[in-house]
Amino acid sequence: MKSIIILIISVVLLSPLTVSAEGLGDMKMDSKIESMKKAGVGPVIFPHTLHEAAMKCDECHPKIFVDKRGANDLSMKVNMKGGACGTMDCHDGKRAHALFNCGKCHHKTEGQ
Amino acid sequence: MKASPDFRISIKLTFLVALAVLIGFAVSATDSNAQLVTSDEGAINSSIDPDDPNSVLYTDTGGKKAGIGDPNKPASESVRIGLGWHPRAMSASGLPLDRYGLVDWAKIVRDGLIKPRHSLDPNEEEMPPLPMDVLIEAKSDFVDNVIYPHEIHTWWLKCEVCHPKIFIPAKGENHMTMSGIAEGQWCGRCHGKVAFPLTDCTRCHNSPK
Repeated sequence: MKSIIILIISVVLLSPLTVSAEGLGDMKMDSKIESMKKAGVGPVIFPHTLHEAAMKCDECHPKIFVDKRGANDLSMKVNMKGGACGTMDCHDGKRAHALFNCGKCHHKTEGQ
Repeated sequence: MKASPDFRISIKLTFLVALAVLIGFAVSATDSNAQLVTSDEGAINSSIDPDDPNSVLYTDTGGKKAGIGDPNKPASESVRIGLGWHPRAMSASGLPLDRYGLVDWAKIVRDGLIKPRHSLDPNEEEMPPLPMDVLIEAKSDFVDNVIYPHEIHTWWLKCEVCHPKIFIPAKGENHMTMSGIAEGQWCGRCHGKVAFPLTDCTRCHNSPK
């Protein structure tokens, strides 16, 4: 009984650590893959964990990106106009690499 | 419920361990943040003295030192952000800037703020700019097309600079890709090096499909 209570307390206390330490990993974004193929680039592999290390959640969520998979209609058009990834003080060439570094986000994968 | 002393000690120990882990985590988080914070060292030096070897001659967009008096040293950060060798000193000179804070050379020429010589040889005949726009369709469905202006390019450049080595002078013969341009092919032969960098996509991609 006692040991169970101790276990529960430990889990509750340590759970936030496990979540932030693991991160959300990489997210593949390929809903516009046909257009990407035409442009000769691969799908976007978005390293969420890497962004977690550099920024706070509320810098992006929910103002720039709705925190739900598939809920954001991202395109290079949006980025170029200063939205989404291309928001000023994000991928503007100063804080993070500029948008023209295609290969940094659009990773070439097998068979493309 | 009255807890036994054993149980109390166990709970205290658990809290202690959790606290230690939390503190450890907070410290490591602070450490990683510290790397991200850019130092103010080497902020723009408004009085640049070319004779002073300590004068900041090469700075990046952040105004940080990229090199002191040695143009052969690569300014890795400014290259990364696509600024090439555009020194921050230019930005401080009052020249018109685009929304990324980069000097807008095309506007400067159009507004007549500078009048570049067409040649070092005074006897060379000047060729008038060629008023010919070329539509370059973007391959992606979500990117605006490019209307390439020959006029502003021929203001500075002779035909042979680009044709036929970099661009075959025939429509549809140049299979350009943005990733190729970013790697220094086609437009990237100049843009990002001696011409404005690729940072602002809409400088070229500005004609809706």
